[in-house]
Amino acid sequence: MSGKFKEFHDELRSVASDLLAKDAAVDWPLLAEAGWTGLEAPENLGGAGAGFGEVAVVLQEMGRAATRSAYIGGTVLSVGTLIALQPSATRDALLSDVATGAVRTAVALSRDGQDVDPSAPFRIESSSAGLRITGRSEFVPDADGADRLLLLANAADVPVVVVATAQASGLSVTPQPVVDETRRLSVVVADGVMVDESVWRFDGDPGTRVRRLLDRAAVAVACDSVGLAEAMLSATVSYAAVRHQFGRPIGSFQAVKHACADMLVRISVARQLVSAAVEAIADDRTDAATAASMAKSYATAAAVDVVGKAMQLHGGIGYTWESGIHVYLKRAALNRSLFGSPAAHRKQLAQRYSQGT
Amino acid sequence: MTPTADLDEFRATVRAWCDEHVPSDWRRAQTDVDDEQFVDFQKWWFQELRAAGFAVPHWPREWGGGMSVAEQIILYRELAAHDAPRLVLAFVGIHHAASTLLAAGTQEQLQRHLPAILGGEIWVQGFSEPEAGSDLASLRTSARRDGDSYVINGQKLWASGGMHADWCLLLARTDPDAAKRKGISYFLLDMSTAGVDVRPIRNAIGESHFCEIFLNDVKIPAANLVGAENAGWQVAQATLGAERGLTMLELAERLGHAGFRWLVEACRRGRLIEDAVVQDKLAQFDIEITGLRGLCRDLVERSEAGTAGAADASVVKLFYSELLQRLTDFGAEIGGLAAHTQLTKPISSGWESGSWVLDFIGSWEWTIPGGSSEIQRTIIGERGLGLPREPSAVG
Repeated sequence: MSGKFKEFHDELRSVASDLLAKDAAVDWPLLAEAGWTGLEAPENLGGAGAGFGEVAVVLQEMGRAATRSAYIGGTVLSVGTLIALQPSATRDALLSDVATGAVRTAVALSRDGQDVDPSAPFRIESSSAGLRITGRSEFVPDADGADRLLLLANAADVPVVVVATAQASGLSVTPQPVVDETRRLSVVVADGVMVDESVWRFDGDPGTRVRRLLDRAAVAVACDSVGLAEAMLSATVSYAAVRHQFGRPIGSFQAVKHACADMLVRISVARQLVSAAVEAIADDRTDAATAASMAKSYATAAAVDVVGKAMQLHGGIGYTWESGIHVYLKRAALNRSLFGSPAAHRKQLAQRYSQGT
Repeated sequence: MTPTADLDEFRATVRAWCDEHVPSDWRRAQTDVDDEQFVDFQKWWFQELRAAGFAVPHWPREWGGGMSVAEQIILYRELAAHDAPRLVLAFVGIHHAASTLLAAGTQEQLQRHLPAILGGEIWVQGFSEPEAGSDLASLRTSARRDGDSYVINGQKLWASGGMHADWCLLLARTDPDAAKRKGISYFLLDMSTAGVDVRPIRNAIGESHFCEIFLNDVKIPAANLVGAENAGWQVAQATLGAERGLTMLELAERLGHAGFRWLVEACRRGRLIEDAVVQDKLAQFDIEITGLRGLCRDLVERSEAGTAGAADASVVKLFYSELLQRLTDFGAEIGGLAAHTQLTKPISSGWESGSWVLDFIGSWEWTIPGGSSEIQRTIIGERGLGLPREPSAVG
């Protein structure tokens, strides 16, 4: 990373960290006000013209603070989807509204929220009344409360995006409560919803575009996991320095110290893999899928181990509701499953070995 | 920073050189060889690299190096990709000896030794002792001033390559009354001096490259003291982490190229590659090696920029050691009984040679020496994370 970018990232990180420390939940208007909804959108459409690298900084800070917000669904996936579509007046208008925060959208990308194979959850069929869209997508982030939904659908086997208003007849968004209370996931069902606007096509090869969106979703979650793992290591180190037993700070015992060292090693490796994947997504590189699977697999699994160890090293207090460590453990566990388990991503990677590298 | 186009050109140059100069059959030719053949081969390969300007890329330009960090990364990557032999014998000389002298040596010491190292002078590290392993600062070998010389008495252990060495980097106690880290001095010892006795120790895989060095009234001229008297601990510490980045980068690149490739090939034999559990393990190693390569590159770049953290090198060493152990363990497991019939491995290869059982047993040479994994965890906890020290720790 060049010096200029690093400086910008450091500043963004520090601003984000201050803002997110104030409250566990960050409402949509505040996200827009902070300028985070428009980071990736082009400047002529009301965005900041920055890249996924900057979005990744915000995601990591949100993980660190275990922030409840609609950022992943409303911004990271929505803007990612819209900029992958062919430009048009209506596309530009919606991208601009999403960037400024005037409109909140969510993206229904996969059937079950964890499939690593791109397969559109919806299909478009023609009827006597016109085109209709049907299908079901589970565990859609931030769909509840969105103004419009971007539905990934097959139109004669070509993936396209259909934009539906939340109130459209035949469309339902039903919250799916999960153990992790910091994320809002929903089932989106379309039952013959009339496609009143034109179908939006991907810019470039649709298969590659969809693949990249899934990669982006996986890496976004991996960024979050790095942030929350870092937060828990830091909390554990602070606690181990002040908590005394047997007349010494517990951090002076090798059993505790060495466990903390292992946490740092895992986080250090995760950071490398995640920053490589963020770069690959930002530059839209052909190896982005590989880098994304590596980052998602390693970082989200590492975060569960690190937070689990944090709970262990905090002792009894760590297991209480009040300590809040459970919030991180639940979020880390959800991150591990969302957009493809570590095992599913490793399976993707392993295809390369049997085919000959 | 070197422009990208220049780096591309440099990469092409290194590739062309490797295609022409890396011997294709060295693994077979260097299996089951005697000591003399091993030393000859190592010295020959070192001079090949030297002639190309690739032997000491990390040294300052005036001493024959001067490559940018970006170029060094490319060089090590290409050498690994072409499965070039490792510089086993020259290792201590080009890394530890050179970085110590460059940091703390006199002009005379630099003039005497750096050109000689390029000419093939072999070095050994004389740090550990029977009673000073993990607790290195408790070393007992004594150095008593006697006119223009010091007289050394004691015993060094685990001196890798000691029987081939011309010179030794020696830590000895000059002040027995000072706190243990404050009474140590750093010396350059000519191994041909009277009273130096080297005895190889056979290691767990049957090789004898570790040595004991017995020092009996050995005289070292005072001019061979590096840094001030009693400042040897600081001299040693200053250079321990500094060179770790590049040496680890080379090993990580080797693990990422030949090491992983052999593992995949081993899995393809016997059709294990179609097994989901095997695929999962391979992918996990692939991911961890990729992470390791990133860590090493990052460490090299930050060491160069002066922004490396106090425990960054320990993070890399610990992760590499344990990854190597798990990976060779898996190699030994999937290699089955056939892997147990490979009774030798080529010297000059990396720590993963494809003789998996020997590689696995040999991996403890990473988790124990150079600061064991337990010591690394303590360093990471205390210097990296700022956790409180052991109450009983002294010095």
